[in-house]
Amino acid sequence: MMTSLLKTEWLKLKKYWAFWLMTGIVALTYPGINYMMYNEAYKNNLNDKRMGPILRMIPNPFAFPDVWHTVSFISSFFLFLPAIVVIMFITNEYSYKTHRQNIIDGWSRNQFLLAKMIDVLIVSLVVTVLYTVVAFVLGNVNTGNTEVSVWSNTRYIGLFFLLNFSQLSIAFLIAFLVRKAFIALGLFVFYFFPLEPLLVALGRERASDAGRFLPLEISDRMIPIPRMFISNETQWKSLVSQANLHIVYSIMLTTVIWIICFWINKKRNL
Amino acid sequence: MKKKFGTSNKCVGIMKIAQTQRPAYLHSNLPVMSAVLTLNGITKFYGSIRALNNVSFEVPQGSVFGILGPNGSGKTTLLSIVLDVLKANNGSFLWFGQPGSPEQRRKIGSLLETPNFYHYLSAIDNLKITNSISGRGNAQDIDRILKKVKLYERRKSRFKSYSLGMKQRLAIAAALLGSPKVLVLDEPTNGLDPVGIAEIRELIVELRNSGHTIIMASHLLDEVEKVCTHAAILKTGELITTGHVEEILMDEDVVEVSASDVNALENALKELSLTVTIVGNTVQLILPKGTARLEDINSFCFNRGIVLNHLLLKKKRLEARFFELTN
Repeated sequence: MMTSLLKTEWLKLKKYWAFWLMTGIVALTYPGINYMMYNEAYKNNLNDKRMGPILRMIPNPFAFPDVWHTVSFISSFFLFLPAIVVIMFITNEYSYKTHRQNIIDGWSRNQFLLAKMIDVLIVSLVVTVLYTVVAFVLGNVNTGNTEVSVWSNTRYIGLFFLLNFSQLSIAFLIAFLVRKAFIALGLFVFYFFPLEPLLVALGRERASDAGRFLPLEISDRMIPIPRMFISNETQWKSLVSQANLHIVYSIMLTTVIWIICFWINKKRNL
Repeated sequence: MKKKFGTSNKCVGIMKIAQTQRPAYLHSNLPVMSAVLTLNGITKFYGSIRALNNVSFEVPQGSVFGILGPNGSGKTTLLSIVLDVLKANNGSFLWFGQPGSPEQRRKIGSLLETPNFYHYLSAIDNLKITNSISGRGNAQDIDRILKKVKLYERRKSRFKSYSLGMKQRLAIAAALLGSPKVLVLDEPTNGLDPVGIAEIRELIVELRNSGHTIIMASHLLDEVEKVCTHAAILKTGELITTGHVEEILMDEDVVEVSASDVNALENALKELSLTVTIVGNTVQLILPKGTARLEDINSFCFNRGIVLNHLLLKKKRLEARFFELTN
């Protein structure tokens, strides 16, 4: 049954221009932004008064094994690109009324939603593959010492995938509830930036960092900020120490989101 | 409208006729047909609006079953419920004696309300999705069916470039894919030109003759009369009547009679017809089509001591009948 759902979704996805456009843009953005960060935030800052001493002390964040971590952190800022595809792809079903037709043609309501979950998994996977390629290439270019293991720290591949799946599931939930493409896009993008970052910053100053439990921040904190971007060592250490707990929180939140989706899908009129 | 086409009392009378005076040919040796679809007291609310109220009927195998009713009478709501797109607030339905399930829907070709397709995909790609979900048909069948609905030339164009009629024909193609034994068609001739309407009508007759069961919603009386064997008539969510089309939509004879004592005349005539009403200073009685013989009525009244001063046979049009049932 899963392969039949996968096959059907692939028939829908493979000729959807927005999917390929997103893949193309992401394929250009990830290497571009990571290379820019390598130059601007790392190489050019090596002699900076404030960051220079820290940067010279830590190993090159764009060489193995740290490159897996650094690139996953930088790339996660561009999650709104795949989120647009996820939102368009689910709201399409509602505007074309194919969400009804799929049921009429013989899917159960659960199968329809399972198929949509497969879409979110496919998009997360595509983005993760692009990240993996970029990190691998950057790591190879920047690693002089051949003794270093390429594959240590590759747990960030898994974390990057989980982060994508978790945050795209939130985009999915909004689209699933709102059903209108532009309203859903507006809501998600506004929340993604600036609303949640603002609330997280406010929480840090006023509410003993309660913002870490906001939906996107929960999974953002699985991948702590790399040392190269932060001067405050105590803050950095506390973020690193939270990371593992946030993996658990993210899995819990994502599970709850999908339980809510399946529950609503069972109840509501199509 | 009511004045022109009669009162609701008459409507009850008509139903009685339909139930009690079945034409002889309907009693003949027809095979016993099992029900493809059985509805039991389906009730549906949209908020406080009652869209369907306790609707029950059966769709026999091999029939072309028309669900008739004016706009907003609940036809699409009813079909949406049996296709599991909407949930009924009360009541149940059975397909082939079993509760509805995805497995059963896969065997039914359905067109509900509007053609629902992926706008950015071609006719072929859309039908591939129908095939992938339902398991009905295959690549050759997709070609065959596109030729049948005359979309083969445009099979590679995107759905969004189609005219309304072409979209409707693709929806019919999707329903026909893999030749399912049961078809559910909601307003199948919507958006089609007169030639298209005639083609679909022929197609339905062809399917009926090859043993398919077709459940069709329509507000076009003509369409139903020409192709349906059975019908159910809905009016604001209530089932008005159901049965053979010949029974429900049967044309009938209306005889207008008058005498000096209208009440005595009415009483006497009740022996002849179940539907006798006083209209002004005349009495109207309704008889099955072709059974009104004015001489017999005249002598019948005369034998009971009533002398008629007016005796007239009026033909009733089918449309008037539909208005009567649904108004």
